Amino acid sequence: MATFLLELLTEEIPANGLPGARRQLAEAIGKGLEAAGLGGAAVRALSTSRRLVVVAEGLPERQPDRTERVTGPPASVAYGKDGAPTKAAEGFARKVGLLLDQLEIDSTPKGDYLAATVLLPGRPTAEILAELVPAAVAGLRFPKMMRWGRGEHSFVRPLHRVTALLGAEVVPFELFGVGSGRTTEGHRVHAPTPFELASADSYAGEMERRFVAVDPGERSRAFTTAAARLVAEVDCRVHPDDELMAEHVELVEYPGLLLGGFDEAFLGLPREVVITTLRHHQKCLVLERMDGSLAPFFLAVVDRRDDPEGLVRQGNEWVIGARLADARFFFDEDRTRPLDELVPGLQRLEFHRRLGSVADKAGRVGELAAAIAGQIGSPLPAAELARAAGLVKADLLTGMVVEFTELQGVMGGHYLRLAGEPEALWTAARDHYLPLGFEGEIPASDIGRLLGVADRLDTLAGLFGVGELPSGSRDPHGLRRAGQALVKIVAEAGWELDLEAASRRAVELVADRIDGDPAAAAAAVSEFLAERVRRYLIDVVGVAFDTADAVMAAGWAKLPELVARARSLEAARSADAFRWLALGFKRVRNITDGQPDGSVEEAAFQQPEEGELHRHTGQFGERLDECLAARRFDDAFAAMAELADVLERFFVEVLVMTEDEATRRNRIALLKELGAQFMRLADLSKLQIEGGNG
Amino acid sequence: MLSFAVESNGGAVDLQTLILSLSRYWADAGCVVQQPYDLEIGAGTMHPETFLRVLGPEPYRVAYVQPSRRPADARYGSNPFRLGRHLQMQVILKPSPDDVQRLYLASLEAIGIDPAVHDIRFEEDNWESPTLGAWGVGWQVLLDGMEITQFTYFQQAGGIDLNPVAAELTYGLERITMFLQRRNSIYDIDWGVGVAYGAVRLDDEREASVYGFEVADVEMLRRHLEDWEREAGRCLEHDPPLVIPALEATLKTSHLFNLMDARGAVSVTERVGLIGRIRRNAIRVAKAYVAQREQHGFPLRGAFEEAG
Repeated sequence: MATFLLELLTEEIPANGLPGARRQLAEAIGKGLEAAGLGGAAVRALSTSRRLVVVAEGLPERQPDRTERVTGPPASVAYGKDGAPTKAAEGFARKVGLLLDQLEIDSTPKGDYLAATVLLPGRPTAEILAELVPAAVAGLRFPKMMRWGRGEHSFVRPLHRVTALLGAEVVPFELFGVGSGRTTEGHRVHAPTPFELASADSYAGEMERRFVAVDPGERSRAFTTAAARLVAEVDCRVHPDDELMAEHVELVEYPGLLLGGFDEAFLGLPREVVITTLRHHQKCLVLERMDGSLAPFFLAVVDRRDDPEGLVRQGNEWVIGARLADARFFFDEDRTRPLDELVPGLQRLEFHRRLGSVADKAGRVGELAAAIAGQIGSPLPAAELARAAGLVKADLLTGMVVEFTELQGVMGGHYLRLAGEPEALWTAARDHYLPLGFEGEIPASDIGRLLGVADRLDTLAGLFGVGELPSGSRDPHGLRRAGQALVKIVAEAGWELDLEAASRRAVELVADRIDGDPAAAAAAVSEFLAERVRRYLIDVVGVAFDTADAVMAAGWAKLPELVARARSLEAARSADAFRWLALGFKRVRNITDGQPDGSVEEAAFQQPEEGELHRHTGQFGERLDECLAARRFDDAFAAMAELADVLERFFVEVLVMTEDEATRRNRIALLKELGAQFMRLADLSKLQIEGGNG
Repeated sequence: MLSFAVESNGGAVDLQTLILSLSRYWADAGCVVQQPYDLEIGAGTMHPETFLRVLGPEPYRVAYVQPSRRPADARYGSNPFRLGRHLQMQVILKPSPDDVQRLYLASLEAIGIDPAVHDIRFEEDNWESPTLGAWGVGWQVLLDGMEITQFTYFQQAGGIDLNPVAAELTYGLERITMFLQRRNSIYDIDWGVGVAYGAVRLDDEREASVYGFEVADVEMLRRHLEDWEREAGRCLEHDPPLVIPALEATLKTSHLFNLMDARGAVSVTERVGLIGRIRRNAIRVAKAYVAQREQHGFPLRGAFEEAG
């Protein structure tokens, strides 16, 4: 058994391409080995900022031998009438390397054929690898590929060395014009002298001695340990940032971490500004005091193990100081003009080629927000919402947000607060982009909620109207998240807003800019929102998918009511009565679907169970009137459960599809009457009940 | 008040020594040392020594300083880190040599940056110029966390796939000097012989800001943009096409666009349209250049063989 080592030494590979490259490499090599009968080896793909590495342990020296059945010419051609072998038989024997009398005859549906079993000796593993590896590497896909030099090859970055060893032997092949060998080199600063690897197994140790940590997992652990040690020195903790830490791991060969400080005066800047400045430009982690306030320290990733003259720390501190001073410059300059003055400039900022500028959008959002306010009985005046709709976008034109787009909203909030605007307005600016999908809190103020909902509804209406719908995994405008956030705000703000009507209003407001039938666009937006509502019930409220389907079938567009109804059904459905009711209701639907409407004639009742069902349905309807008015859905479903016995008796005693047409029609009408009352709460036939085939 | 002279910079390199050392280094590495282009341009990439030389099969190696004008980045001289006009040292190595990273790192040693005691990293940063129909992939080079160079493998220019591929190194000269001298303002760096950058440049930064943001006559700029666009077309339609005059006319339209943009005079829809018009001419210039070189038999084929 031997170990295979592949190392590709390249120029620095973009961090975002490395995790995918490791997955692809491990998979391609693993599958290739398995296909060659060399499965069972432990294949691991590793990497640093300038190396892709594969280690496969436990490989045999050769493939196992195999036998193969080879079919030759038809027997009728291979032998003459006298039974003597012809030239064709001799040729086949030569081809398979056997004597004539070692050949056999296989009978097939097409006739008899000459055949032979040949032994295929396993090929050396090195040979297999020499074919497999270049194909696997050439098949790697990165987010962005490039050419270099004479432009003959395409890869993520130029390739400089290929080290390929099976045990102690070089596996010979060529990649992008570079021949494989046993020479590699260590860390660019600490151990740059090329050296020869004696064997694949010595790789890990040799690299470690040369300050290259090839395993990303090991680098990640080293960062965590180093961070814990460094923050303890200043009695702080790391402001958590998993995404950044995952990126750090990919940026280096040696996991170096450095603690630096900056002038405490910069802590007077808004917290988000300090964090973003350090993160965005410098990829530095910010430190917090134990009480959660920011501390004037940072952790910077460095690709070296030491800082012999202190220059690395000094340099990083200087840059951080300069970046923060630059941010402070923006912060001070932005505040010299009130945001109101920036609003007209939104005309120069494009929202969408077809849907106009951000100013156009803000105009529509203001109007839509006022319409929604009217529907939910909010006292906010239309003029106030119209001003707010422009004002919350004005920070897009501030120096800070032009520099750090991710601070949109946050800066508007700070600037409006510092300008003495009311809390409901400045929190609206801060919050109206929130939540992100279903994650996080909804905006604090009604203005923020109204603008948040109107903004997203306008986006959906416009983009659906110009045909830019999400499809499959492609959702470049983040419409699914926008829809989720909208649903979450409406549900959690407890608004009695009819989402179908609101979608129609949103499409009307953008109608002059879209193609096709506005009614169709509005229907598409509604359908899209209905799917988000369904996900909300399942993922956030936590009901079963069929509970969601059942209650939505009885009306979905008013969310607070829908959520309460879904919760009540979810609680009620586990009772035995509901198990039976679901089956019974399926039966009701099977019988009545597609049947004409008719009225129930009490005089035509033939059996007491008909009268009983009619009476109970009437009583149930009256109780529903009360319960629905008072939002007592638990009581409503309890009343529904009480019908289980009555319905069961009815089905046992009464034959609906009887010969007599008048009786049959009356019984169908009776069931329809019941169905109509049930459908005020939920379509129980959507519930998946075990053993239930109606 | 800004003083004329700077404090001692503790032996760190000054701006003119940086320029001289890099020029010397890249000359020794086999580059033609060129001069800045005598037009207002936004980046060293627009200089014909880059934009045209990277096209076609001929090798080329060149280094030059280019004053780069970005009217929208101007800050009335009041922001210590931002300039409306800054200096770039531009290096083109075509085809990109195998040891281009080593060559680059050695250039840092030539200006007194010893990689043995610094942290130098190459972090992904790709580059694209919609007006030139050009893009490339590469890195920003970080020195102790400071971005000092943009390092790009050109993949396309003027809409043409490049083969061979050129490596472009762009050193931000003021930034590097500021960092090495640990100054807190660009205007405080030592230009050389003890003269402060601000003493040389501050007034024109202020004036350029006032002009670009407040004074520039938008209608005049628009008129000239149209004129120079037409002129580029006339040069391209001339028989044979006049490549350099057409490029120069196109570069003028690009600068006029930047001025209009800084002035806030370019609307959303107009912006996309104008960039597209400039790009169309840049693409036509690129094609005309390659055709012209082909007609001349690609005279620089076989040159620069000794280099590197």
